[in-house]
Amino acid sequence: MTFWNILLILVKGAGYTVLVTLASIGAGLAVGLLLAVLSLVRWKTVRLLLAAYTYVFRSIPVLVLLFIVFFGLPGMGIRIPPFFSMVLCLGLVSGAYLAEIFRGAMAAVSRDEITAAEAMGMKRVQIFLYVIWPQMFRMAVPGMTNEFTSILKYTPFAYTVGIPEIMKEAMSLAALTLRGLEIYLAVGILYYLIYKVFVVSFETLEKRFRIPGLAGE
Amino acid sequence: MALIEVQDLVKRFDGKEVLKGVNVLLSEGQSKVVMGASGCGKSTLLKCLNLLVAPTSGRIIFKGEDITRPGVDIHRLRQDIGFVFQHFALYTHLTVEENITLGLRKIRKMKTAAAREKAAFELERVGMFEHRKKYPAHLSGGQKQRAAIVRALAMDPAVLFLDEPTSALDPQMSREVVTVINKLYLDNITMFCVTHDPFLAKYISDSIVFMHEGVIVAEDIAERLFYEHDDPRIRQFYLSVIDHR
Repeated sequence: MTFWNILLILVKGAGYTVLVTLASIGAGLAVGLLLAVLSLVRWKTVRLLLAAYTYVFRSIPVLVLLFIVFFGLPGMGIRIPPFFSMVLCLGLVSGAYLAEIFRGAMAAVSRDEITAAEAMGMKRVQIFLYVIWPQMFRMAVPGMTNEFTSILKYTPFAYTVGIPEIMKEAMSLAALTLRGLEIYLAVGILYYLIYKVFVVSFETLEKRFRIPGLAGE
Repeated sequence: MALIEVQDLVKRFDGKEVLKGVNVLLSEGQSKVVMGASGCGKSTLLKCLNLLVAPTSGRIIFKGEDITRPGVDIHRLRQDIGFVFQHFALYTHLTVEENITLGLRKIRKMKTAAAREKAAFELERVGMFEHRKKYPAHLSGGQKQRAAIVRALAMDPAVLFLDEPTSALDPQMSREVVTVINKLYLDNITMFCVTHDPFLAKYISDSIVFMHEGVIVAEDIAERLFYEHDDPRIRQFYLSVIDHR
């Protein structure tokens, strides 16, 4: 097997890595945003549940959660396919972190501006959509970028449930060809390239939406 | 005809009575200024009038309707009242033009082109047209306050509330803003303004209400209130703000 063949297999695995990362980012964003919006609710029970969620999912390692979902739940008759198990776990964990990032960004939106929107006659949903969200999103971008790169770095756990992502392919190839050093170095470089594309994309996004006078300017 | 009639308005915060039975009348086309030392309850009074702060008791009649009764449409009420804040409260992420058109588009449901046209017309009136594409961070304090006034006026409110509109400005910028508000006064825009600034009060008011510890002590035109009134609290307040200026 030539190194070129090896590289092609690894690149194919990288495709799965990117897919798992993007799907998990989507899931994490959905969970994080939902939790952040719920944090606006003043009911004590909701707040306690949110605090418990954040505490629990920030403390459980992703691998443990993945094993509970993929190997544990079938014992209760619940079978989730490998890809969705991985996305679910990463979504739940990163959602807990993203919720905190969003909550912080939301708290940074000027109270005066929210009062001005109330005084103008806007409803709560309008205030969120037109005043809070656009500012909160921009302020959250640096924290989000950080969290998304963490998701990328958690994706190698996907090999434990049989997803043919880059690490799974690398381990099989290393066992087959005994060219571990070259293969794992190639894996490292591919991860770096994926990471770089993510970071550059988010930096471009951040610059594109940067507003004079807002945090980070 | 009375646009706003306040009857025995009381507001308590944690047992502390900030407004102690306030009665005020504001007619259409009239401009009234509320003055008084810090903590006298004047800003609370203003915020009670558009229900940003819920009154403890008393009645507020706006356009003949008791707005303190349960079930009142708070959003519709506020759409009829323009509010200008001490610290401008412009939306940081929007340009001056977008600050003005946001309410027109999302609340008044105007088309973007029409909203922009309206914004351009109003900005022209206060000499801010050339700044329409700037973000608030790139404006001086006076420009920010003028933009905030336009944002409130563009909604064609029945009354304009101004909460210490010049307090956060240096004398030069303050003059810019006084000139703009004075123009509104001469155009017979109905205004209810809270301020410490006797210069502003004098140039934009038909009458001045003086408050002390949650109670209205006197109401009169500027000249009489400042120079002829013998209430020591008014004299002391006037001398202290003049001295401060």
